[in-house]
Amino acid sequence: MSTLSTYTNSDTVPTSSAHDDATISSPHAALAVLELSKRFGNRHALSNITFTLPQGAFLAVFGANGAGKTTLLRVLSTLLRPDAGSVRLCGIDVREQPEQARGTIGLISHNSMLYPDLTAEENLLFAARLYGVANPHERALEMLAAVELNHRRMDRVRGFSHGMTKRLAIARALIHDPELVLMDEPYSGLDARAMRVFDSLINQARQNRTFVMVSHDLEQGFELATHILLLAQGQVMAFGEKDRFALADFTQSYLQTAAVEMV
Amino acid sequence: MAGRPSAFAHYRILIGKDLRREFRSKEMLSSMGIYALLVLIVYGAALAQTERAFDILQMSGGLFWALVIFTSLLGLNRSFAAEKEQGSLEGILLVPMDRSVIFLAKASSNLLFLLIVEIITLPLFYFFFLTLTTPAPSSWLLIAPVFVGTLGIAGVGTLLATITANTRGRDVMLAVLFIPLIFPLLYACAAATSAVLIGAGDFMQTFSVSLALAGGYDLIMILIGWALYDFVISA
Repeated sequence: MSTLSTYTNSDTVPTSSAHDDATISSPHAALAVLELSKRFGNRHALSNITFTLPQGAFLAVFGANGAGKTTLLRVLSTLLRPDAGSVRLCGIDVREQPEQARGTIGLISHNSMLYPDLTAEENLLFAARLYGVANPHERALEMLAAVELNHRRMDRVRGFSHGMTKRLAIARALIHDPELVLMDEPYSGLDARAMRVFDSLINQARQNRTFVMVSHDLEQGFELATHILLLAQGQVMAFGEKDRFALADFTQSYLQTAAVEMV
Repeated sequence: MAGRPSAFAHYRILIGKDLRREFRSKEMLSSMGIYALLVLIVYGAALAQTERAFDILQMSGGLFWALVIFTSLLGLNRSFAAEKEQGSLEGILLVPMDRSVIFLAKASSNLLFLLIVEIITLPLFYFFFLTLTTPAPSSWLLIAPVFVGTLGIAGVGTLLATITANTRGRDVMLAVLFIPLIFPLLYACAAATSAVLIGAGDFMQTFSVSLALAGGYDLIMILIGWALYDFVISA
């Protein structure tokens, strides 16, 4: 168990030497990120981010506002192109084969990605058909039942509460059974029922799927995660299996990085 | 998974969603329709002061296309506002598909909505301005410039609306980019429309040359849109 000063040594923060090409292209790595960088003008949103995740891992990404968490998620989801470095999802290089990589990704973001003038069922059918899901109608009904919205399937999304919209957005993101699920603060704005439904969905989906979750809630993140990543000013401050970190020490380190970010 | 759908299947799914959404909300159609009606009323009020001083037939082609351009600007801005409302466009960008198909589907739905508004507007335009004059028997030919012109407006407008969707003051930005770029098409379509409405002299020569220019413009701009769309929408 360690504090931030030890997290940042070469044992816990992977470097390019620790993740050579063989590791990055390993068939066991569900997600392999190598020296990833992204700039917006003069600001380095991400600098030399490197880490790998085995299949079935659950990575909780922490960091203060502006640390680069959402940028990382957007690059992993192919919505943003990195300036340098590489990302491999299940062995697929997202720069070389972005279309193939997209089929393996499900993204739960702050935006619901739903059409308010379509019904819940129409929204899920639309997504299922775009992804080429077999039996899209059955799959849409299955997902509506999973998020406990089958009684509202014919209602337009415009009339949904925030929690219901969020549940439907989760169903939309998982409709094509993605191998990698990316989640940007998925618990924010969820009511108790939505949280329970979400937890149940995540538990069901965990087998053989890899998760990356951006969160500000350290306790919740530690509870779900198998791996932890701490970002500050676009750099990896700590990365490793959860067991290597103590929540109390990590919280203290997190607050230190947050203070640095504010300066 | 049943396998990745073809580009045509993606096109059908996207256009089906646009039609379903629009016919349910009528957001674009009602705003464009009302705006077109208001422009006609303004035209009527402005031109009523000079009713004996000029021949309305000489101006009708230009007036009609000015109406179409301003109305389509309103609709094109709205076509992407709906996609941005809940981040729905990102949802489409996450799908493994040729992104040029998104351009074709959006341009097709915009074309359809613009044509619907024009079908409603044309009789009103005739009623307001052409009932006191006598359009040439060749007037029915204006269907061709209306279609070719609207096709170009939908193609160029969809590309530019995508570019300006994320900019501050996108309404103004779209107009600033759209009007200079659409000018050759506007000129050709106004010439072709006026030629068939007036029907004087060798009007078929003017009509066919203008229509060929407009068609060539459409072809080039739609190919550019198709080729650039992946870059534009990813930027």
